[in-house]
Amino acid sequence: MHSSKKIVVLGHFGVGKTSLIRRFVTDTFSDNYKVTIGVHITKKLVEIAVDREVSLILWDLEGTDEIESIRDSYLLGTHGLVFVFDVSRPSTFEHLGNDLKIVRNKVPETPLMVVGNKSDLVDKAELKTVLDENELSADFLTSAKTGEFVNELFLKLATLLVGDA
Amino acid sequence: MLKLYQEEFANKNMQFILLDSEGVVIESDQKLFDIPVDSSILKLHPFFESLPALFDSAEEVFDFFCIHLALKENTFTTDIKLLKKRDEFLLIITDLTEHYDSYQSVTQSRNESVIKTELTVLKNLELQERERFKNRFIQNFSHELRNPLTSIMAIIDILGDTKMTTEQTKMLDFLKESNSNLRLMLEDTLSIGMIDAGKLEIQHKLFNLRKFFELMQFTYSAKTKKKGLKFVSFWDDRIPEFIEGDRLRLFQIVANLLDNAIKYSENGTVSFKIGLNQKRANTANLRFEVIDTGIGIPEESQEAIFESFHREQPTQKGKGTGLGLTIVKRLLKLMNSKIQLNSEQNKGSVFYFDMSFKYPLPSESKWSEHGNKKRANIGRKARKKYKVLLVEDDEYVQLTLFKILLNTDSFQIDLAYDGALVLQEVVNGDYDIILMDVDLPNLTGIQITQLIRDFPFKNIKNIPIIGITANAYQENLDKCMAAGMNDVVIKPYEKEKLLNTILKNLR
Repeated sequence: MHSSKKIVVLGHFGVGKTSLIRRFVTDTFSDNYKVTIGVHITKKLVEIAVDREVSLILWDLEGTDEIESIRDSYLLGTHGLVFVFDVSRPSTFEHLGNDLKIVRNKVPETPLMVVGNKSDLVDKAELKTVLDENELSADFLTSAKTGEFVNELFLKLATLLVGDA
Repeated sequence: MLKLYQEEFANKNMQFILLDSEGVVIESDQKLFDIPVDSSILKLHPFFESLPALFDSAEEVFDFFCIHLALKENTFTTDIKLLKKRDEFLLIITDLTEHYDSYQSVTQSRNESVIKTELTVLKNLELQERERFKNRFIQNFSHELRNPLTSIMAIIDILGDTKMTTEQTKMLDFLKESNSNLRLMLEDTLSIGMIDAGKLEIQHKLFNLRKFFELMQFTYSAKTKKKGLKFVSFWDDRIPEFIEGDRLRLFQIVANLLDNAIKYSENGTVSFKIGLNQKRANTANLRFEVIDTGIGIPEESQEAIFESFHREQPTQKGKGTGLGLTIVKRLLKLMNSKIQLNSEQNKGSVFYFDMSFKYPLPSESKWSEHGNKKRANIGRKARKKYKVLLVEDDEYVQLTLFKILLNTDSFQIDLAYDGALVLQEVVNGDYDIILMDVDLPNLTGIQITQLIRDFPFKNIKNIPIIGITANAYQENLDKCMAAGMNDVVIKPYEKEKLLNTILKNLR
């Protein structure tokens, strides 16, 4: 059984959205930061169970510190969302609650994963303090650099979307 | 003609594709890329896989901006418009690669700059936090050391007044010297913390430089002799006897330089000189020099020795914190001077600095000296027993203060270690002076002082109060004085200094 799901990856600039997708799709990582302009779209076929595959169409949106400015057309027909913040840069998560509210208003009832990326830059104890102090609740703390929890993130979302289908 | 030109340039970067409701190509003008008629556009690029979801939508026009299309033969950054035309769909793809590429470089610089600034701010905050932690640690650490050090110093003084055998006297001298080294190390450690925190203030008080010189002469003659070195000193008689400056810091600088000279000299001479560079109006510029015939410092290390924890020979069983020369450098900077070094390996080193001091008219200095003598005489006279209230919760400090005061046979002492008790004692006690530990738990010495100063009765509110504290930071001393204390003595203190302060403030 095969299906196709559109997943939009969004968040502030420089949080590692492109790196997360690249790690997931090609299992590579580059330290060079190259700004994404507009949208880059890639695709990966994922086996979520025996004889059960799903094509994830990953929309890598240009990062912005004004989430409300994201074009609505990008979100048309979206099955799932990944909102990424950078655990080492407070400016990317200090308004997380409000950012998520804006996203949910644009695409209500679309499954959404909140991801704290660059977990390799902060030690575990400090990371816990950062999350507690800012009352942040992330579904995954990932590192595109080391690959930690990257596959788990997309597989979980894929399973969730196929289950919802 | 114009139409021809228009055909040549217009629509060059646009492709029109007509699709059916399954996404199959009906017609394409192939301006940007080739896509065969009857093929599915959904397979061309993942972007197009999202189109079928829009075909059933009630909306008739969809705009997608800045879509990156990486196709087999070419890569475009495009704006894409989808229009419903009855049962067909028109796709207009506009290639804006050049436009978006220029936007990309601007955004790249802007984003990199914002991220860099944010990370720099965060790094600075982290460094500041570490600095604060380090200073708090040093402050607490030195604070905790001061109490036991005070007790040791007091016991050494008291023992010195008892009858001892020659061997015991030697051992006591050794103990005294070790304690004095320990005290200098403590001062050095604390000074680094204070300088880093910007809390070290240089004093400008009148003191007798000649006596300072004689003290160094006396102390370091003994120290060099012990190591089999010769000590040479020089004093220029044209130097004013009294100068305005920070005696403690000057002592710290010279003592560190002399200790260093002794540490790194196995034989030969250690010299200490104070010379006059020039004298104008009431300002004298002096040169302080410490010369040794020790191991010397190779040229490549001459800057590094002024960094914290540097040791020229790590294997050498040298004493000290490794902070000595750092302290010298940083204190001198605060005092608008600079340490200079001439050194040759295996021949020795010359450390020197020049510093300007104001000096008063001769009559002022005589008065000051006279004042000191007067205070000492009051102590010796001891015409009556003064009533002292000692407010201190540390029993070792209590014991040593008791010993110091009782040995003079001039004081009658009551003890209180709790804020509430102090006020009761003060009302009933008719005290001549209060010795107040500043760092009491619960109600602090500062708070108790404020309460006493707020009393309505003159005989109580005016009792002289001497604060005793292990916290040598200027802001702590300022708080003590602002609360109404008459003076503050910093632990570890010398017996003479404590007694002189008490006598100076007795009512």
